[in-house]
Amino acid sequence: MSTLYSSNHCPSSSSSQSPGAVATTVSPSDNETPFKKLKDELLSVTPPEEFTDVAGFDVKEEKSTVSITVVGASGDLAKKKIFPALFALYYEGCLPEQFTVFGYARSKMTDAELRNMVSRTLTCRIDKRSNSALSFGLGPVFALFESKLFGLHERLHPFGFFRENCGEKMEQFLERCFYHSGQYDSQADFAELDKKLKEHEAGKVSNRLFYLSIPPNIFIDAVRCASLSSSSPNGWTRVIVEKPFGRDSESSAALTRALKQYLKEDQIFRIDHYLGKELVENLSVLRFSNLIFEPLWSRQFIRNVQLIFAEDFGTEGRGGYFDNYGIIRDIMQNHLLQILALFAMETPVSLDAEDIRNEKVKVLRSMRPLQLDDVAIGQYKSHTRGGVTYPAYTDDKTVPKDSLTPTFAAAALFIDNARWDGVPFLMKAGKALHDRRAEIRVQFRHVPGNLYKRNFGTDLDQATNELVIRVQPDEAIYLKINNKVPGLGMRLDRSNLNLLYAARYSKEIPDAYERLLLDAIEGERRLFIRSDELDAAWSLFTPVLKELEEKKIVPEYYPYGSRGPVGAHYLAARYKVRWGDIAIDK
Amino acid sequence: MATQYSHCSSSSTAFPPSSFKNERCMYRKSISVPTRAYFARWVSHDHSGKHFELKSSNGHPLNAVSFEDAEKPLAKELPLSELGEPDSNLSITIVGASGDLAKKKIFPALFALFYEDCLPENFTVFGYARSKMTDEELRNMISKTLTCRIDKSENCGDKMDQFLTRCFYHSGQYNSEEHFLELDGKLKEKEAGRLSNRLFYLSIPPNIFVDVVRCASLKASSTTGWTRVIVEKPFGRDFESSGQLTRCLKQYLTEDQIFRIDHYLGKELVENLSVLRFSNLVFEPLWSRNYIRNVQLIFSEDFGTEGRGGYFDNYGIIRDIMQNHLLQILALFAMETPVSLDAEDIRNEKVKVLKSMRPLLLEDLVVGQYKGHSRGGKLYLGYTDDPTVPKNSVTPTFAAAALFINNARWDGVPFLMKAGKALHTKRAEIRVQFRHVPGNLYKRNFGTDLDKATNELVLRVQPDEAVYLKINNKVPGLGMRLDRSDLNLLYSARYPKEIPDAYERLLLDAIEGERRLFIRSDELDAAWTLFTPLLKELEEKKIAPELYPYGSRGPVGAHYLAAKHNVRWGDLSGEDS
Repeated sequence: MSTLYSSNHCPSSSSSQSPGAVATTVSPSDNETPFKKLKDELLSVTPPEEFTDVAGFDVKEEKSTVSITVVGASGDLAKKKIFPALFALYYEGCLPEQFTVFGYARSKMTDAELRNMVSRTLTCRIDKRSNSALSFGLGPVFALFESKLFGLHERLHPFGFFRENCGEKMEQFLERCFYHSGQYDSQADFAELDKKLKEHEAGKVSNRLFYLSIPPNIFIDAVRCASLSSSSPNGWTRVIVEKPFGRDSESSAALTRALKQYLKEDQIFRIDHYLGKELVENLSVLRFSNLIFEPLWSRQFIRNVQLIFAEDFGTEGRGGYFDNYGIIRDIMQNHLLQILALFAMETPVSLDAEDIRNEKVKVLRSMRPLQLDDVAIGQYKSHTRGGVTYPAYTDDKTVPKDSLTPTFAAAALFIDNARWDGVPFLMKAGKALHDRRAEIRVQFRHVPGNLYKRNFGTDLDQATNELVIRVQPDEAIYLKINNKVPGLGMRLDRSNLNLLYAARYSKEIPDAYERLLLDAIEGERRLFIRSDELDAAWSLFTPVLKELEEKKIVPEYYPYGSRGPVGAHYLAARYKVRWGDIAIDK
Repeated sequence: MATQYSHCSSSSTAFPPSSFKNERCMYRKSISVPTRAYFARWVSHDHSGKHFELKSSNGHPLNAVSFEDAEKPLAKELPLSELGEPDSNLSITIVGASGDLAKKKIFPALFALFYEDCLPENFTVFGYARSKMTDEELRNMISKTLTCRIDKSENCGDKMDQFLTRCFYHSGQYNSEEHFLELDGKLKEKEAGRLSNRLFYLSIPPNIFVDVVRCASLKASSTTGWTRVIVEKPFGRDFESSGQLTRCLKQYLTEDQIFRIDHYLGKELVENLSVLRFSNLVFEPLWSRNYIRNVQLIFSEDFGTEGRGGYFDNYGIIRDIMQNHLLQILALFAMETPVSLDAEDIRNEKVKVLKSMRPLLLEDLVVGQYKGHSRGGKLYLGYTDDPTVPKNSVTPTFAAAALFINNARWDGVPFLMKAGKALHTKRAEIRVQFRHVPGNLYKRNFGTDLDKATNELVLRVQPDEAVYLKINNKVPGLGMRLDRSDLNLLYSARYPKEIPDAYERLLLDAIEGERRLFIRSDELDAAWTLFTPLLKELEEKKIAPELYPYGSRGPVGAHYLAAKHNVRWGDLSGEDS
């Protein structure tokens, strides 16, 4: 079945085996996309011949349209991420035939000006294999054949065929982009948008996706206006919301309540783009499609789990927003906690969104609220290296001079359930550190009664197995094992069982935003955060965040570009953990 | 344990400290010695570590790898006695010095040990054979096969010359006590009154094993130190003849003087098998019928007998490869955790595995024989085209077998063995196929054939040593497609150093009295018990082997055998080269 669609360039929508497809057949909701339903239908019954057209979309779909309105179109995120992701989806044939993209913002701009702005950030993906794999030039039919041949191994990338057409494709995409200028709190302006959308929809079934790429204080206004004045009359209306979702339990709940005045739960798509990362998606695949990991996945074998996020740059003059939130809200309470929940959850009933989110909520609700003792915070200070002076956080003009906002935090969390009781989950997130990375490290326990104990010397802690899932950069999975050093003696050392994505998979990995936008269009909610998940996440962090602020806890200062405050090590040591990312043998 | 201990120390008295000049072997000394026998020894001896601490920071790449900390404590615990006394001498006599094995393997291995300073300061090498030869002629013969490791080529010529001056030749009959007495005289001369330790390496046909052992034991045993005899396969051709051989050997030697070599046990990845299992947490929980569906032990050669089939025809592939090499690896793989890494503890566990095994049934065996095949204009000869092989020979050159261990850990798990000559590739590997994921959530992503989606651990013994674990992984991209990827450890990428030949390790172990990698009599008996009924039946019924073309993947019968036990050979899956 999966091979059936390989010529339509959109693996996700095309694969009957995608969890999305499974999900929708299990629990169809009334918010279901007709396009999606149609696909599922087709996937189960239609013979391959009908799909040989390159676009891969059936004629029946001509009656429905999708309008994607990017609210806050002139913002950074929109320019850097949303428009390029939409273009990539278009390029791969993942967008329905009838789609329009609207930019909405306050500034005056013509359609041409928007297109001009957007075009600067669009790029065509480079596919390393395109030459070798596709130089035959036999076209999509060959691709179909080829992928059948290779089964699960290789999905041929369409760019091999069409990369030359990149410019053309861009033109086509830009023609579908329009701009509407309006206030975020003006129903009248949104009514005008509605009129324009209707024009483009030309009487077909109308599905509308609003992407709110705007500051949180105008979320509600925009949702109110969009919902009241430009909801789809006959299709679905969905709203993608970006973080921050409040700054504590109360404000988050207030936001949710306000959103729910205008939207139903299943219209709200709270994005956490870390959930769209390739290796985070792969986490569940590793656990649940391999026999060898799941038996080890508990307190019996796992000593600790580390979730590490590091950026090698500071706020760089854009600290105004950050200062109001700090690293804990910006990274930990959402991205790292979401990964933790995915990592630690019990096996869900199915891959259906609700089943997975049910399990994630259970993890969050089993967790002990974070204690102040279990947090170490830091803030970067200025540092001069090689003649270059890197500014301190408080040197940022948009940051108050006396700011105590943490730019670094380490925390120890615990899940009080049968599987994880007593296993420390350590999180660490920071800006202006010595490198840029996001990874999950799983440190295993000692070998009980290790026969080779003496070969390791005194520090058995250094000789435990470790599974590392490197989310970025250079996606990789590796398992540290003890191995005999070849030779006449019996020396052991640690080697890696390696899977470096760049070596194994030659295709460029799609950006998280592509996946998430596509999922939102298809109504796949697995990677979006449900209201109860959000509540549970906030209730873990809110008390400690309050305490930090009330007590005005001073962060430990660390030099820009360093490995972060040493407090993180003391925190780890308290739970007999050693950070895996700063180990000697790296 | 007690006997083991006493022999280890007798061996160790052979080594004067000054003989260990080179750090590389120091390194072995400082690590391996306490490792394998530390339960017996390390606590009870004086710790004279300083000598070694200095050496441990020698900057050799291996030492630089990691676990720097591990070295000092180990070195400190090295027993003084292991260094031996300065006044001892080691004589290594290679009986059958003009043979192929001696030239290709034994002399080069001895030289490599010498090069790495693993041999004691006072050592002599004697060649013994029937042909008349001078010392000079022997040296000349040997020198042709000596090579220096690529990563250590400086001084190689010098070292060779030094080595060759320690090599001598003595001509004599294999059944002449008188000639061995003459050898004894020459050995004494070289030993010059020092404590004498003597190692005999029997590189001769099996029919003269006992004669040589008798003569050597009666006339050329050491009077002051130890005398050990290394014996190569074949150890008989069935339970009776093997038992007979053992009884004869034991007339002249005690069990702990007999070193039955199985050179596969000296292979790097076979050694590493126990390390993987017992020094990692992640494998042992999976090491049972609960998770492992089957285990495959695969040996293939890409050449035939090539005119030297005379010996082989009398034995066949089952005796030549399966009953020893593959079965030994199986026992190591499947054994329970031993009490320690001590030789007796490990061999006790291996015997337990062999004794728990069901004797092999004819229906669980497939035999094959290669036939002539012409490819690319070149004609490859069939087995029976070999002039040294009878035209009507039904000796198998290929065999596949399914074995079972009836114990709590392995009940019902098929252990499949496959060995063959003249196949399409040269390899030796262990493949562990795991069970299905119960209730796999991603079932639909695999299509109908879940068998293709199970995890597999592969230890490639040769060539290109590697360990890899096949896992299911999401293919990067917008969809949810799964495929198999490998978690890889390719030795050549990770360890730049040349891996020593199995014979080096085994010779050194024999010199040091380390018996872990040698086969004990009861192991041998148990191994023959498994195979003898079947071998008899094959011969009595004159079962005709399935013919397969030279250079092919072997007879298809192997697939049917596998299918019968719901197994699919991992090496012919098409995913692997």
